[in-house]
Amino acid sequence: MSTVAATWDEIRSLHQARPRSLLLRGTMLFFGLAVVAVWLSGEIEVGDLFTERRRRNLMRFLTIEAVPFPMREEGAATLPVFWIWVSGIWADRGAAATLSTLWLALAAIVLAAGFGTLISPLAARTLATPQPYLLEDRKRRGPWMLVSGGSRLVCASMRAMPEYVLAFFLVNLLPFTAWPAVLALALHNGGILGRLYGDTIENLDPQPLRAWSMLGGQRAALASLAAIPSAVPRYLLYFFYRFETCVREATVLGMLGVASLGSEVVEVQASHFYDELILLIAFGVGIVLLGDLASHLARGWIRRAG
Amino acid sequence: MSPIFQLKGAAVEYDGRLALGPVDLSIEAGEAVTIVGPSGSGKTTLLRLLNGTLRPTRGEVLAMGRPMSERTASELRALRAHIGFVHQDHALVPILRAGQNVIAGCLGQRGFWSSARAILWPQRVDLERAHSLLERVGIGEKLFQRTDTLSGGQQQRVAIARALFQDPQALLADEPVASVDPARGRALLELMTDLAIERDLTLVASLHDLSLARALFPRLIGLRAGQVEIDDAPDNIAEATFQDLYSLEGLRGGEVG
Repeated sequence: MSTVAATWDEIRSLHQARPRSLLLRGTMLFFGLAVVAVWLSGEIEVGDLFTERRRRNLMRFLTIEAVPFPMREEGAATLPVFWIWVSGIWADRGAAATLSTLWLALAAIVLAAGFGTLISPLAARTLATPQPYLLEDRKRRGPWMLVSGGSRLVCASMRAMPEYVLAFFLVNLLPFTAWPAVLALALHNGGILGRLYGDTIENLDPQPLRAWSMLGGQRAALASLAAIPSAVPRYLLYFFYRFETCVREATVLGMLGVASLGSEVVEVQASHFYDELILLIAFGVGIVLLGDLASHLARGWIRRAG
Repeated sequence: MSPIFQLKGAAVEYDGRLALGPVDLSIEAGEAVTIVGPSGSGKTTLLRLLNGTLRPTRGEVLAMGRPMSERTASELRALRAHIGFVHQDHALVPILRAGQNVIAGCLGQRGFWSSARAILWPQRVDLERAHSLLERVGIGEKLFQRTDTLSGGQQQRVAIARALFQDPQALLADEPVASVDPARGRALLELMTDLAIERDLTLVASLHDLSLARALFPRLIGLRAGQVEIDDAPDNIAEATFQDLYSLEGLRGGEVG
């Protein structure tokens, strides 16, 4: 056997003996089985999407109903006509609805982030120990296990409550106000941010925090002066990610009667004004994109701030 | 002189495996000592025993004449507030400014609110002290620079200034020059030994670079597999002894590579 062939045989035997990821294979198997199970359930028919009736509905929607009303006449499909239509709806109802959606989402996310920031040091198992970052001994965590476990349980319970159901319940307690939507969003997102912020602190580089602990720094100092400031860039990332969700959900919760883009959407949908409906949804998308831009600028500013 | 640190039969086990000891050792106040040895020989473990962040599995460690085991958690915290520690990877909070990281040296000596105020809204007296310490380590102009914008060598100088802000009786350093180039490493170590003399500090530094250890420290402790193999002035130690210290033969993992 030549040397080249012997080397190739060695490479092949190394390839055969390579470590295999059970997780990856398990995940692929799970998704494969999930697709087969959905297919076999008979509940979802791909053919439903492509019937003649569906095609006609889609064509009518795209060529008539989705076209702005003033542009449907022959020769009226011009930019000035479109712009007058957009600005009219914006002034009439869009601006007020968009702004109330924005304030709702902002109030909710600020409350959620405040809660998440406060609970994160307690939920972080690296800080919730008798001597944070020193003398690592799992057996000695004692009551601190209850603190971190309890904080995580509170967060899990909060995020387990769907916003819509929570708002539906709160509408009866606080009718004719924005609070049902604000509180429902704040509670759900507070649970999510509490967990994410806690995990962020756990994943921080332990060396600076260990150094502060060695200096004799108290847990409160470690949390508020070192851990949370170091975690701010990632906190902001999660803040803006959940802000996007809050804007979308504030629109949905408007369908319960709270003044937002959602309540306007319900109204125009009832009148079958699909062109206005699309425009109102576009206003919602606009706020999300603005939030995304603000997130990008804020994180860039924090990175550069010196 | 009286010993500032004493180890009496001190041993440390991790998961049943002996990492250090049993070791008998005495370090006098004001001494400058370097600890050398191959990776995994127990250098960091020894330093952590000295500042009480690690308990010996067996034996006793005394700091400033008193056994660590007799100290409560708050007494250990008070002790650590007077022992500066310079880490291999600087261990600074990157988002804070250099001056804030230096002032963090006060954490063990002040309460939470006082420390928070000193770090977030430093008073003139703290700022002047932080500035003079940064000046002493050669980077006074970096007082208000964000720490993560500084080079590795500058960050290590900030870490030394932070340790000095504690007004410590001893300075422990764990591979303090491992992350800087040899020229800067030598300059940093010279700075540390000068500061130790200037402030009458006990200096205990673990090092990988044997030539620096031999050139700059009057006492050298050689660890191998958790045991003290050498404890003498560098001039008295034969070359063959150093070669034995770093020989892979008989070491865990020595057969690999």
